[in-house]
Amino acid sequence: MNEAMETIGRDLGRMLEALSGLLFVSLLVPLVWGEYWTMPALIVSGLLPLTIGYMLTSQFREATQPGKLHGMIIAATGWFLVAIFGSMPFLLIAWTVELGLPFVETPAQTETLAAFTQPINALFESMSGFTGTGLTMTDDEAVLPRTLQWWRSFIEWVGGVGVIVLTTAILARPGSGSLTLYESEARSERIHPSIVSTVQTIWWIFILFTFISILLLWVVGMPLWGAINHGMTGLSTGGFSITDNSIATYDSAAIDFALLPIMLLGSIAFPIHYLILQGELRNFYTDLQTRWVFIYMTLGTLVLTALVYTSDTYDSLFTAFRYGSFQFVSAATCAGFQTAVDATNVALGRWPAQAQLTVTFGMIVGGAAGSTVGGIKLIRALTLLKGSRFRIADVFYPRTAVRRLKINGRRLNDQEMRQEFEEAAIIGFLWFVFLGLGMFALLMVLPQGEYTLENVIFEVASAQGNVGLSSGITGPESLPTLGKITFLFNMWIGRLEIIPVLVTLRAIINRGGLYQ
Amino acid sequence: MNIADIPIVGDLLEAGAEDWVFDSLLLIGPLLIALIAVIGRSPITTGITAAYLLFFVAYVLYRGVRS
Repeated sequence: MNEAMETIGRDLGRMLEALSGLLFVSLLVPLVWGEYWTMPALIVSGLLPLTIGYMLTSQFREATQPGKLHGMIIAATGWFLVAIFGSMPFLLIAWTVELGLPFVETPAQTETLAAFTQPINALFESMSGFTGTGLTMTDDEAVLPRTLQWWRSFIEWVGGVGVIVLTTAILARPGSGSLTLYESEARSERIHPSIVSTVQTIWWIFILFTFISILLLWVVGMPLWGAINHGMTGLSTGGFSITDNSIATYDSAAIDFALLPIMLLGSIAFPIHYLILQGELRNFYTDLQTRWVFIYMTLGTLVLTALVYTSDTYDSLFTAFRYGSFQFVSAATCAGFQTAVDATNVALGRWPAQAQLTVTFGMIVGGAAGSTVGGIKLIRALTLLKGSRFRIADVFYPRTAVRRLKINGRRLNDQEMRQEFEEAAIIGFLWFVFLGLGMFALLMVLPQGEYTLENVIFEVASAQGNVGLSSGITGPESLPTLGKITFLFNMWIGRLEIIPVLVTLRAIINRGGLYQ
Repeated sequence: MNIADIPIVGDLLEAGAEDWVFDSLLLIGPLLIALIAVIGRSPITTGITAAYLLFFVAYVLYRGVRS
């Protein structure tokens, strides 16, 4: 076996070991709630990645450190493997109920849990969770066992920061190629010179904010179990819920408004959180992305409120503002919580087309790079805007003029500007290409006339932006298998910002780099 | 003695914002959630939780003003 494969194998092994740790920690939940019948499934789910992970890491212990190509392949294949092994609890718990266990009483099978007896549904749920998407194969989350409610929230919480970040924080040692992996997981900014210290600080901030989020939701009236789960999935901007109608179940304006700052916290970059906790509050407005998080959320909220109010979707301005602000922030932060559902008011899928497309726009752009959000990210959108304006204005200056493009306090020269603009343009272009391909696939497999084009655009943007809002297409029965496979791919590339996945696919197809 | 040498939570405290107040809030958080789980919603638990949240916000602002 060549060196590259050993490096990749060793690091994938570490990721699987970290995943098994998550599964064993989760054994506390069935212990507390008395769901002992789920424990064998969890133990088997944990032992499997532990065994494979241990074999890989011990076999390739002496492998060399990963380079850029290896890092991308590790990130892409690692996330896919983690999604596969993370689907085991869904699959095995569903089959535990389906078949029954000797000596332990299992509950009656429900239609919701039975959906997970199909591996594709379990894999979809796992991929949606780890990528922080929040689209679900669950019909009624409330009837799931607490163990699975927890597992869904837990994988979103971990996935929000990143599986590699978790692995690095726990298992990596300084100078072990962690930077390459860190950057392959769609992150670049550092808090400390050491990448291990950086990821540990990210987790420190994330854990503190999780407690703050849980306690805030509880104070405004959410039951504790709901507050724990929604605090975790809100901060990680994942959006899985434990209730049938997402946040609409509570039908509480206080809970809606309490979730806004939680989702916003998740959409601000961790290095900025660190600086703010250090007392540098001016970062709220001096940091380009953070400033634009607030400007963009405010503008989007105002536009959406105006659209749903003037189109008579809601009869009072306050109601329009309540649903408009929540749904725009939920979309733009890529959280994907829903308050506009049929049970309580007008469902998102039946909002006017212009309102749905405004929400879609929010999903496509997303929040700040370096946070837990998906989408293209604000910094890229701003780079494209500023870069385009810079290029157009160029015509009005003499050839000899020396110009600099100013972004986020940095003055870029021509070469730097070209590099940043090119990166933003490539990712933006690829994003729309795969959005188009996803739409095409969905239009092919969905029944003709059942959904509008804006519903389809909305759903694919939601999957690829790792948002999780649904216009009603996603479901175990409503989405055909080919649609599920398409969304699996959309969620995967969306989380890793496309390029690592394309690099991996190229390497697999023509063995490029792996056998050199 | 180094902070990192404290058993169990040493690494966690070492990794943070290098401020003992935030470190304390981090350690109190799960205890408060456990308290709520045991006692449930009462004026006392609601008051303590509200105080925790207000203290966090106030302390962030205080650090901002001070620096």
